[in-house]
Amino acid sequence: MISAESAAVFIGSSIRLATPLLMGGIGELVSERAGVLNMSVEGMMLTGAFAGAVGSWATGQPILGLAFGLLAVLPVALLQAWLSNTLRANQIVSGIGINILVLGATTLGYREIFGERSSDEIPGFGKWAPPFLGDIPVFGQAVFLQVWIVYLGLAIAIGTALVLRFTAIGLAVHAAGMEPRAVDKSGLSVRGIRYGAVTFTGLMSALGGTFLSIGDIHTFTEGMTRGAGYLAIAAVIFGNWRIGRTIGACLLFGAATALQFQLPAMGVDIPNALLIMLPYLLAFLAVAGLVGRQSAPASLTVPW
Amino acid sequence: MNRRYLPGPGILISVGAVVAAVLLGIVLIALIGVSIGDALDAFVDGTIGSAYAIAASVNRSVVFALVGIGFVFANRANLTNVGGEGQIALGGIAATAVALYGHVAELPLGLSFALPMLAAVAAGALWGGLAGILKTRAGTNEVISTLLLSFIAVWLLYWCVQSNALLRQPMTNSATLPESLEIPDLTKLPLVTADPSLPLNIGLPLTLLIAVIVAMFLTRGTVGLRLRAIGLNPLAARRAGIATERYAVAAMLMAGGLGGLAGALMLQGDQYVLKDGFSSGYGFDGLVVGLLARGSVTGVIASALLFGFLRSGGISMELQAGVPSAVVRIIQGIIVVALAGAVYWIDRRGTSR
Repeated sequence: MISAESAAVFIGSSIRLATPLLMGGIGELVSERAGVLNMSVEGMMLTGAFAGAVGSWATGQPILGLAFGLLAVLPVALLQAWLSNTLRANQIVSGIGINILVLGATTLGYREIFGERSSDEIPGFGKWAPPFLGDIPVFGQAVFLQVWIVYLGLAIAIGTALVLRFTAIGLAVHAAGMEPRAVDKSGLSVRGIRYGAVTFTGLMSALGGTFLSIGDIHTFTEGMTRGAGYLAIAAVIFGNWRIGRTIGACLLFGAATALQFQLPAMGVDIPNALLIMLPYLLAFLAVAGLVGRQSAPASLTVPW
Repeated sequence: MNRRYLPGPGILISVGAVVAAVLLGIVLIALIGVSIGDALDAFVDGTIGSAYAIAASVNRSVVFALVGIGFVFANRANLTNVGGEGQIALGGIAATAVALYGHVAELPLGLSFALPMLAAVAAGALWGGLAGILKTRAGTNEVISTLLLSFIAVWLLYWCVQSNALLRQPMTNSATLPESLEIPDLTKLPLVTADPSLPLNIGLPLTLLIAVIVAMFLTRGTVGLRLRAIGLNPLAARRAGIATERYAVAAMLMAGGLGGLAGALMLQGDQYVLKDGFSSGYGFDGLVVGLLARGSVTGVIASALLFGFLRSGGISMELQAGVPSAVVRIIQGIIVVALAGAVYWIDRRGTSR
């Protein structure tokens, strides 16, 4: 029998583990809607995680770490945008190249900067629960006591949904992915929109990455994103390029990851490997078309 | 449109990207405070310093070449197989299972080592083919599916070596490592020469044979022409009567099968036991080798040799001179990014898209 306490812990950790995916996923969604596929979400997240950890460790201020993470991702995002738009490079290949480059650079940077001090705790963000919600018995603390970035992420997700649906910016982004020619005819710059969208992906991914390093576990490890960026992309496909469903997919992947810790704690004997694999397996089944017909933006991966 | 059939500028740009990236790597080595002389000595020791080092580097190159050939083959049909890592892992699992528990060690005619290899090819082909079927049936982007399948395969391998019911060696005491038993001697790949100081295994001639056959298929046969037609314009290819879906699946089966074979060579030619981290990035390196080759099998061989020796040298530099292996990774990343971006300058010489 599952107790209310363990259910609450499970929900709380699902949300926590879904947060980096959610941020990367929202960012990637906007960019894909504008017609650019960034395989480099993984690298952008890793950049944010690394720079956030370095900034926080060097200044002792996690908020400066966060700022540092967001700044550091800009060159990466602009490189991706330049490759995908101006140079018309293969978006998939260039994204994978960026991921390899970032993995190497952050690993090297980590060893050089932290070296033997690698076991030092890096200052990170504290947790916070919204008033009233945090006072709910059993669930209040377990579910709602989260690093404030979680709430920031939710707010950005809602804001993004509103902007995409109700504003001229949302329309322009959507059109850049569906009918770039029409956008061009209307006098807007397709490349401009796409540069902006990729930069947004970078900032969101970096936010997710800093959450991983200085929000969630207060340390950096080499290649710590471990495929979270690819899961974020899978969530966008799973979500059929709609924001509500993408958020749902991220929560599902988060819950699948949370099972890794929850089931053994409940004494359920399931191979650990299967549980670690579960989010990837779900993502695979999702992209395999088990969620119905997919309707990608018409000009996705086609440079303008 | 890729003007792959004009090797001139492509090769120049590939060479230029590699040279620039290696130079940057050297600068990095200097920046982290390692003497360049020490690093170069270590690099030479690990690559061409001895017959053993040469053979080890070539054996590595062979693995990269197989994955790269598969990549180029599928890429001709405009399919991007980034699942080499998973295909290697599955190949390793299958080869281990058959070598240890398939009762093959006593079989004559080389079947003792050939059957595990065949099993690995089948397992890898399954993994690649799955992505191909999804591509044609559900329109799933093969990059995403092969990548996710890679993560799944790597954890499958982890599961296999952690579970006593699967491939983990019997626990004799608490210190028994989570890895498989060593495969029987007769299932290990025979050496090309009888000289154990030059441990080149039969993977080398086998891979060269495959390279020649694939190159002929791609350049001479109708198969290559049809694959290219599918890659350039699937709709027109279908109108012309080509069974595009069958070719797409076959191309992914082929790419996956070669990845699986690469896994078998790693297991039966080098590692002999299956353990966590078995594929150790060889699949991704093979992908880079495939990219670097810009569509030509000769290019695959050249870049596979480059990467095999680069990796050996990288390991040696890490052990002997304390140069982090991340430097080699950075070099690889720069090469891929540079080549992806350089397509612009190559294409601009021809008609624009």
